[in-house]
Amino acid sequence: MISFCLIILVSLFFSGILIRTRSIAAGRKGPGIFQPMKDIIRLVKKGAVFSNTTSFIFQIAPTIYFASVIMAIMVIPLGEYKGFISFDGDFVFFAYILATGKFFNIIAALDTGSSFEGMGASREALFSMFAEPAFFILMGSFALLTGNSSFQEIFTSLHFGSYISYILGVLATIVLLMITLVENSRMPFDDPNTHLELTMVHEVMVLDNSGLDLAMILYATNLKFAMYGAIIANLFMGSFPLYFTIPIFFALQIIFAVTIGMLESFTARFRMNHNAQYILVLSSVSLLIFLGVLLVLGKFN
Amino acid sequence: MTGIYLAGAFVIGGGLLINRNRAINYLLVIAFLALQIGFTVYEYQHLNTIELGYFSADALGILMLMTLTLISVPAMYHSYIYLSDKNDNPRHRAFYYAAMVMLLTALSAAYLANHIAVNWIFVELTTLSASVLIYHRRNPNSLEGTWKYIFVCAISITLVFIGILFLSFALHQAGTDDLSFAMLIKKAPELNQFWLRLAFIFIFTGFTAKLGLVPMYTAGIDAKDKAPSPAGALLSSVLMNVGFVGIFRFYTVMSNSPLHSWANHVILIAALLSIFVATVYMTKVKNIKRMFAYSSIEHAGIAMLGLVAGGIGYYAAVLHIILHAFVKSAFFFQMGQIYRIYKSKSIYDAGNYFKYNLTGSMVMLLGFFSATAMPPAGLFISELLIFRSLFEANYLAVLIVVILFLTIIIWAFGKNIFKLLFSPAVGLDETNIEKIKPAESLSQFFLLGLAVYLGLNPPQEFVTLIQEAIKNLPQ
Amino acid sequence: MTNVLLIIFMISLLYLSIAHQLLTYIKILAFQGVLLFGIAFIELSQINVVNLAFVLLETIAFKALAIPFFLKYVINKNRITRDAEPFLPNFISLIINTSIIIGMFVLSNAIADSTISKIYFVVALSTLFTGLYIIVTRKKIITHVMGYLVIENGVFILSLAVGNEMPMLVNMGILLDIFASVFLLGIFINKIGDILKDVDADQLRHLRD
Repeated sequence: MISFCLIILVSLFFSGILIRTRSIAAGRKGPGIFQPMKDIIRLVKKGAVFSNTTSFIFQIAPTIYFASVIMAIMVIPLGEYKGFISFDGDFVFFAYILATGKFFNIIAALDTGSSFEGMGASREALFSMFAEPAFFILMGSFALLTGNSSFQEIFTSLHFGSYISYILGVLATIVLLMITLVENSRMPFDDPNTHLELTMVHEVMVLDNSGLDLAMILYATNLKFAMYGAIIANLFMGSFPLYFTIPIFFALQIIFAVTIGMLESFTARFRMNHNAQYILVLSSVSLLIFLGVLLVLGKFN
Repeated sequence: MTGIYLAGAFVIGGGLLINRNRAINYLLVIAFLALQIGFTVYEYQHLNTIELGYFSADALGILMLMTLTLISVPAMYHSYIYLSDKNDNPRHRAFYYAAMVMLLTALSAAYLANHIAVNWIFVELTTLSASVLIYHRRNPNSLEGTWKYIFVCAISITLVFIGILFLSFALHQAGTDDLSFAMLIKKAPELNQFWLRLAFIFIFTGFTAKLGLVPMYTAGIDAKDKAPSPAGALLSSVLMNVGFVGIFRFYTVMSNSPLHSWANHVILIAALLSIFVATVYMTKVKNIKRMFAYSSIEHAGIAMLGLVAGGIGYYAAVLHIILHAFVKSAFFFQMGQIYRIYKSKSIYDAGNYFKYNLTGSMVMLLGFFSATAMPPAGLFISELLIFRSLFEANYLAVLIVVILFLTIIIWAFGKNIFKLLFSPAVGLDETNIEKIKPAESLSQFFLLGLAVYLGLNPPQEFVTLIQEAIKNLPQ
Repeated sequence: MTNVLLIIFMISLLYLSIAHQLLTYIKILAFQGVLLFGIAFIELSQINVVNLAFVLLETIAFKALAIPFFLKYVINKNRITRDAEPFLPNFISLIINTSIIIGMFVLSNAIADSTISKIYFVVALSTLFTGLYIIVTRKKIITHVMGYLVIENGVFILSLAVGNEMPMLVNMGILLDIFASVFLLGIFINKIGDILKDVDADQLRHLRD
């Protein structure tokens, strides 16, 4: 319950901090922190326009996408407080409910009959496909390390003792950061500000949505940011009492937002041909995390 | 004495490097030959003594050392002829002789080393000196050959080193850290088998670059092609022997451990593939020196088959590799004369050799009989013994395949040699043919005759030495 | 702590498989030299001080400083272009390198020995095969030499696994390294650059049947 509320709270200002950081790094003052939420509210008040070539899929897909993100957030714990949904193996549920949402997004994009949207959809599918093993190997390694398989139990029993577990924590943070960038289609994998349809990945998929649908999709992006930030924050929280964890949570989320902002400001987008290999590096690095976990467990000496 | 030998060779090599005067050059070379002969005689009389902790003159080492000395004398003589009829560059000549001295010294030390790491160091030194020799003519083709040789040999030497590291892992468990061959043979049954397998694979693969087997034979082909003929003679006779010594000593260790039959299978695969490769390339090669180089690969494969078969095959393998050294070096020495007459290494540009150089062509004819192992050549005896050992070890299928390959090789070799000897040359300008003195072919007759003598009627000491060399293998 | 350094070493190997520019290769080689310095410093605590100082000096002076400097000098002198020119796209290189690492994991499970630390074995053999792979799949001659230097690093790690009991082997590994760098790099790249105009392995195709 409490993690759900906190994540919703963070999602209100996460995108704002991101855009503010980028503006300040570029020398501008930038919009206010709650500007993205105001944009979303404005969109909610408008009506939606549906093209004649689309079918019912196009009309229900954003809702399903939004619902899947909400359900995924319900799985995430906060320290020792479980989320709404918590059972053994729930990180698999987490990954695949997100995949269901993404699947509906993709088929809605194909439904419009526009080749640009189809191109963006196929790129999005490819990048998510390469990032998926990274996530699973990472969570699997942690499950192996702690002997549990539900999010909340993994994170409460994770503690860092030796040198090698610190480096595992650092590596896991970096991998999760990169996965966030891939899943939310940010730089350096995709430029959210590009106007050229040929270079878009995610933006082009939502080109035809309007009104409430567009608002739900934009807000779902914010939620996903906050969600991944919550997972990273959980790595470091352990079992501290509540008055400790909430400030740490907010602090970590803000640091996360600023980091992503800095990364976006100072890197250029990778060449489209090479994007795939940079994403696959994540999977290989998570393989090394697996090796490290085997070392820590002593199964390797 | 080993210490004196190494120090003396080092001084002579340094002297050859810095000196530019012809007379002093020849003096230093003769001094080195005297030192080499003296060293060999001394080591023969002090069989099995350990000197400087790491060198012991065991039977195999003495045999190889004697082969080396017997070949090094004509090598120096032919180098003198080779270098005296080009426009002389004293600096290049100095490098050539210094490198040759260093090669011979490193080979002698590698034959006598009884510690695997010391063996490795000296084999590395042979790579260095051989590459200076290959680069002697300093044109783009020889640069390419030298680069390929150095690179492949550097990787092979690294593989041997990795094998030595795995061996030390294996020894670690047996509780010792002495890598000398005597200790390895003694501890062979107790070594950890996983590490021993890995060590064998890596060391064997590394040494195939020197011996000339699949997979690393490629370096040697280009090297023997591009090196000047006397150097090529050394590369394809005594340098192959150092590869054989390395593999043989480690094989002795393996044969005393439970992994004997597995090691046999590995060597069998490599040897069969080598003979196959030699067959394929012999049928299409047009450059005479490359043809000789591929023939070396074939003979190395046959010698390894002798090792695999066991029984009389052990004796035959050592005999084969020694006799092959004599025969192949005779070929390469003769090649120098062929090149001087036809100014080309291609088989198309050569022909009617009997008309231009009678003694040389006799050498080629007798050499052809020797290399293809027809009686009464010595190689016939060793090959017959290897075939017999293969038959007795129930490798009948292997035997049939090998005989088939050898038939094709005899056909290809014969086709080229008879073209050289009997058919008229195409487009040869007959006005400026150089006259070769018959005395220059004397060394080759001697070497071929030695091969026949050692094959048909070997002196008792020779036979005893070979039997002593194989005594550690299971009989 | 050595385990951490070895894992970082493996990450540098993965990075080597997707790098595009020659200068990136050189930077990774220098970084690997520094990592090896750290590993040698922590591991070889039981050999005598002079030997240890020699080993440490060699890793820092040779692997991290002299060889990268020399490589850059050769690249500038021969005006070699920046790209690494692989035969296979980098994506496939990454997959193959990852499968090499997985293969070495699986192979290490067959080791029945408990006295040797398995992570050294995995890292050293993966480095060896990655180096061989780099040699085989790159067109330029200078990348062949860089692949050989990666193999050297792998051999050094393997020798550190027994370095405490047999310091002679570590010294021999260093001897090999010095021999390779002085000889391969020093003499022949310069000569090759002078004679072959375009330092491409395609130029080395004249000696064939």
